[in-house]
Amino acid sequence: MNFTRLALRSITGNSFRSWVVVLCAMLVAGLALATSLILRGAENSLRLTIDRLGADIIVVPQGAETKVESALLMSTPASIWMPDNVVGEIASVPGVAVVSPQLYLSSLENASCCSVSSMFLVAYDPATDFTIEPWLEKKIGSRLSLGEAVGGMHVFVPLGEENIKIYGYLISLKANLEPTGTGLDQTMFFTFETARDIARLSPTLAVKPLEIPLNSISAALVRVTPGVDPHEVALEIFRKVSGVTPLESPNLFLSYRKQMTGLLHSNLIVLGITWGLSLVLIGLVFSMAANERRRELGVLRALGATRDFVLRSLLMEAGILALIGGGVGVVLTTFVVILFRTRIIQSLSLPFIFPSILSLLVQVVAGLALALLSVALAALVPAYRISYQDPANAMRE
Amino acid sequence: MNKIAGVLIIILALVIGILPQFTDCQSQGKELTLTTGKTVPMKCHWTAIAEIGMAVPLIAQGIMLFLSKRKETRLALSVTNIILGIFVVLFPTWLIGVCANNMMLCNNLMKPTLILCGALVIVIGLITFIMAYRKVESVA
Repeated sequence: MNFTRLALRSITGNSFRSWVVVLCAMLVAGLALATSLILRGAENSLRLTIDRLGADIIVVPQGAETKVESALLMSTPASIWMPDNVVGEIASVPGVAVVSPQLYLSSLENASCCSVSSMFLVAYDPATDFTIEPWLEKKIGSRLSLGEAVGGMHVFVPLGEENIKIYGYLISLKANLEPTGTGLDQTMFFTFETARDIARLSPTLAVKPLEIPLNSISAALVRVTPGVDPHEVALEIFRKVSGVTPLESPNLFLSYRKQMTGLLHSNLIVLGITWGLSLVLIGLVFSMAANERRRELGVLRALGATRDFVLRSLLMEAGILALIGGGVGVVLTTFVVILFRTRIIQSLSLPFIFPSILSLLVQVVAGLALALLSVALAALVPAYRISYQDPANAMRE
Repeated sequence: MNKIAGVLIIILALVIGILPQFTDCQSQGKELTLTTGKTVPMKCHWTAIAEIGMAVPLIAQGIMLFLSKRKETRLALSVTNIILGIFVVLFPTWLIGVCANNMMLCNNLMKPTLILCGALVIVIGLITFIMAYRKVESVA
């Protein structure tokens, strides 16, 4: 009998002990993977959103910084307005290359005149836009016309219909943007012309009319001249244009980054406690098992099995249990994170994008390795003690 | 093992039957307002009702699995559990569906929970099937 078969016999022989070790390994691997997936997913998502916006500075009405961040990241509808003459004032600031105004709107909640309830809508100026238009030119080779829109990853035409209804207005969805894991995935983008047409027709088509205040915009995206420091330009905008706050893209979503750091610390504490407790529990279980099997292992030694053979069979047993538990833990965690990702985003108020297959594999392997290391570490001392015991004493006790 | 599987099926059936009643849009006080002013329930409500129809036979299956002693009975129970598990998943995803906005509770909590529970019912069904099938084979 080789030591693998001996380990397997021992695993099936005491199912309670095996279940305890499997559950501990499952918990350690699952928790480690969940922490890593959520925090890395949130970080990637923030990075992708900043890249997608493509602006060096976003100018928003003073005091509306958090509202804008929540709208862009969590798709929380925001109704914020500032006079549109700020666009000219910002454009006159030295170092500003392009300024593009945007309107932030929202579809109605639970109304049959809107296909999707409370969807974040962004209207842009096609004459100055540098975020959606270049992407459109590349993707579909044309610009958006009246009544046309592009949507985030999760914006789609309802089953059995040809258009998306917004305030009773039929909008044709031309394309979907790549996922970012943020509110942008649930956002619809169309031109100023379409937004004004929806507002014009909404009193007759919708349950409630869409109101866009006259001569107002919600935000202005700024791209600075190459070689100019965006920080200097932001300071200059702050000094020269009253009633606005310029947000530099590296400083965007600062409150979310702080929240992520807090979450990382608390998760690491929980993971540390779980890991420590699991280690103690597995150590105890293996000590009990080693005591129970004292005579059996003594007989094995008396029949000619070496110390190394006994030690290896015990460690093999621990390794098999760790791999089973760790395997179930990582599969279950991956499945749960995929299924509940939107709920996680909502509960933690953090954006999230699922990692690439390669990155996921690395994290899964790391989770499994942690489970294997933990179980092997906890089982090492009892396994070493029992394998180095004198066979005659072991059989007599 | 069959007793554990029976208890797990009963627990999952309770989740499948009860949770949707508290996570559909109707339970959150949300209804679809038509242009006529009339309100109607959203489709997630009908999924929640359909899942009661899945949960009741699953509870009976769980009890029978817990009490069954014959391998052939377990084999048959496992197959019906797998079929019921598939339908638990199909109602919120394909047959009826839930609301389109994934920020709604029915979309981000009810649907994934039903998929997870349905998948677990299928996995448990497969495990009990393999175990019963092996025992039937070894007896033959």
